[in-house]
Amino acid sequence: MRLLFLIALTSLLTSCASVKPQPEAFTSAEQAIAAAVRAGAEQHSPVELRFAREKLAEARKGMEYKQFDKALYLIEHSEINSELAIEKSRTAEVRARLGEQARENEILREDFERTFGESFE
Amino acid sequence: MTRGAVLTAVLMAVTLAACTSAPKKDLALEQVRNQLEELKSNSDLSGYAPLSLGEAERALRAAEAATGNATYRNHLLYMADRRIQIARTVAQRQQLENELQALEDERNRMLVRASQLEAENARMEAERARLISQATAEDAERARQLAQEARQREAVSARTAEQAREEAEQAKALAETSARAADLARQEAELASEQAQSLRRQLENLQLRQTESGVVVTLGDVLFETAQAELKEEAMASLVEVVDLLQSEPDKKIRIEGHTDSVGSAEGNLQLSQRRADSVLDTLVSLGVDRGRVTTAGMGEDFPIASNDTEEGRSRNRRVDVILLDD
Repeated sequence: MRLLFLIALTSLLTSCASVKPQPEAFTSAEQAIAAAVRAGAEQHSPVELRFAREKLAEARKGMEYKQFDKALYLIEHSEINSELAIEKSRTAEVRARLGEQARENEILREDFERTFGESFE
Repeated sequence: MTRGAVLTAVLMAVTLAACTSAPKKDLALEQVRNQLEELKSNSDLSGYAPLSLGEAERALRAAEAATGNATYRNHLLYMADRRIQIARTVAQRQQLENELQALEDERNRMLVRASQLEAENARMEAERARLISQATAEDAERARQLAQEARQREAVSARTAEQAREEAEQAKALAETSARAADLARQEAELASEQAQSLRRQLENLQLRQTESGVVVTLGDVLFETAQAELKEEAMASLVEVVDLLQSEPDKKIRIEGHTDSVGSAEGNLQLSQRRADSVLDTLVSLGVDRGRVTTAGMGEDFPIASNDTEEGRSRNRRVDVILLDD
């Protein structure tokens, strides 16, 4: 009873806070950052990757101040930035492949035009 | 730029509104809503990421629906903004992948086209090679035909030459035959000529004249050995002529008269003329004249036919007359 009161009091004091984030949530966010790094985010999406790391760091800080809701939101912010970083990295790689393909086609076309004459396609 | 500004605004809103019952941040919501509307109205991107776009819309609805707790609302706004960014980049990627696909299709089309052209070139090359080889074959065939024709011509020439040779041989043989025939004819002609000459000589020796008694053939002195009764060897041919003449009239009688010149005694001349007449008789009989048709007479020197004063006259007077008597 005394414990429940304390919890209720703490909840009031920390305002909005309701559920303490589980360690798994942090692990999940860490893994998302690692996945973004693997996807090439350091190169293709450095801003979002930085946000993901900063949000996670803030979330840990929030845990220290018992700001659990804030920590929870920040974990979600970190994860969605990792997700965005991964999507941006994938898009960047497709864009790079597109450029390569365009160059390759150009070389091929010149090559064939040399071989078969200007009438090639 | 816009995204950065929105992001900054959202972050500011989130920071300001964190855990406080702040007033409605309609500005931040408007900005996020505009972001989504802008993405949806972008005809290049809107169709490419329906799932991500749906998630972004749900996130925005959630943010719009959130009341009271500003921190929670700002959190949802932030999440909606991120969802919009994700939808945008996914849509962009889809668009890029379509472009990539188009480029790969183009590349494949070029490769197919190139292989077609290559095959076409190879076909043309093969056709050209075939034509060249055909031309070569035709040349060879032509050469073969020319050689064949040349061989045939050669054969014909050989045959012609053979024929010509044979004809030449035949002609030569014919010529030889002709030559032989001509030779023979010539010989015969010569012979005939000789015979004719011989007869002429004989007839020269035989003096033929018609008298009242009949045809008289006079055998000249040259037919006898000098002062002898015997006829010379060569006189026989003349006598054969005489026999021919005599036998042409077999029914007529024959009288053989011997005559001399006036040299020597009359008695001696008479005897000599008789012996010469007899000698001629014997010879004529030996040549087939019937002895019964013939009479002989030695006439001596009393019936000269020329003057006895000259040698030429005396020679003419030494003679034997063979007379084919008329009836």
